[in-house]
Amino acid sequence: MKVATLLFVVAAGPIGLAAQSVRGRLQGRVPESAIAAVDSLVRAAEMESLPSDPLVKKALEGGAKGVSADRIVLAVRQTAGQLHDARALLRRGQAGEPSADEIASVAAALGRGVPTPLGERMASALPGEPMGPALHAVADLVGHGFAQDSAVDLVVTAGQKGMRGLRLLDVASAAVAELQRGRTHAQAIADVRGGLPDVPSAPPAAPGVLNRLRRPPQGVRSPS
Amino acid sequence: MDPRLHRVLDGELDRDQLPADLRAELERLERATALLAAAPAAGSVAARVLAAVHRPHRALAARVGQWLYERHAVTLKLRPIWSLALAAALALIAVLAGRGTGPAVLAAGEGIAQFVGRFPGAHSVEVVGSFNDWRSGSLPLTDDDQDGVWNAEVVLPAGEHQYMFVVDGEKWVVDPLAGRYVDDGFGRQNALMIVRPVVR
Repeated sequence: MKVATLLFVVAAGPIGLAAQSVRGRLQGRVPESAIAAVDSLVRAAEMESLPSDPLVKKALEGGAKGVSADRIVLAVRQTAGQLHDARALLRRGQAGEPSADEIASVAAALGRGVPTPLGERMASALPGEPMGPALHAVADLVGHGFAQDSAVDLVVTAGQKGMRGLRLLDVASAAVAELQRGRTHAQAIADVRGGLPDVPSAPPAAPGVLNRLRRPPQGVRSPS
Repeated sequence: MDPRLHRVLDGELDRDQLPADLRAELERLERATALLAAAPAAGSVAARVLAAVHRPHRALAARVGQWLYERHAVTLKLRPIWSLALAAALALIAVLAGRGTGPAVLAAGEGIAQFVGRFPGAHSVEVVGSFNDWRSGSLPLTDDDQDGVWNAEVVLPAGEHQYMFVVDGEKWVVDPLAGRYVDDGFGRQNALMIVRPVVR
């Protein structure tokens, strides 16, 4: 009996501490009436092995922006749904379990308006590749008026020509640059596609920037 | 010297018994003796040289400075346990000092985020976002040349970060130059920045 009690305490301890830590982060920064609901959503996400930090951050964002408790809870629930969809999409495209960062990245891309079916199409066209940057590249293109199908085709072609990860963002930047030079959307896509995989990389930071670098003083947390 | 002068000087003979020429010489001797007796007693050459050397009066700060510059034997006795504690405290101070807002050093998996906004007439501009838990007051932008263009360069983990500018402590503004935006779930949009890891 004593052993069972001890095992229960050892098993329940970290969960209790985690819950305490979430409430601690929310206390004083989120309306009191939202904390219990947000805490419940966070715990549900943890039970499903979904990343919970984006949910806490969404609640903190709502508190900072002075949003009502109801809207905060709604937004946190919506974020949890995006994380769920993102993981489902990633599970279809790769063998192993996706990491928390990958899930958050894809969820952010979905939040930019990339429809889930489009993401699934990307995942099947580029199996095993990181989906976050690929979907953000598509979102970059769509955000500049390119048709969704053209955007997906361009990014998939770049992936099939060996471009990986953040380099796919350079493909989108190259197409946008063509647009800014006066080319039509179709011409810009054709020009960049014709030059693949040779597109310019993002420029490095200017040397003077390194001397002015700062860190967020309260410690950097993981990306959104 | 005439022996009769010796006798007079020794008091054995009266000076009136001397002839006139010797009496004049006696008077010269007495004047010379009086002159030597009036002169101060001379010390040794070394004493006179040292006395002539001028030692300038130096200020306290100069003396302290010289003391600091000169070599001194310092003996510090510490138990090994205190030495270890001192080393640990110094290491902790060094680590904590590196976490401030001063110039930062990039670690693996980190990148540079540059925030730029044009806010003419603003008194303060700061950036809040997912990287600082949307907390105000931690990342102010600066406008050193007061041309209305505010900026900040920050070390962040590589990946996506959502953010907004807060102008004059109350006005939330979406970065018009971000190029990437995401629905914030509250009826507005956040700017989205994708930080790339710095290649070493």
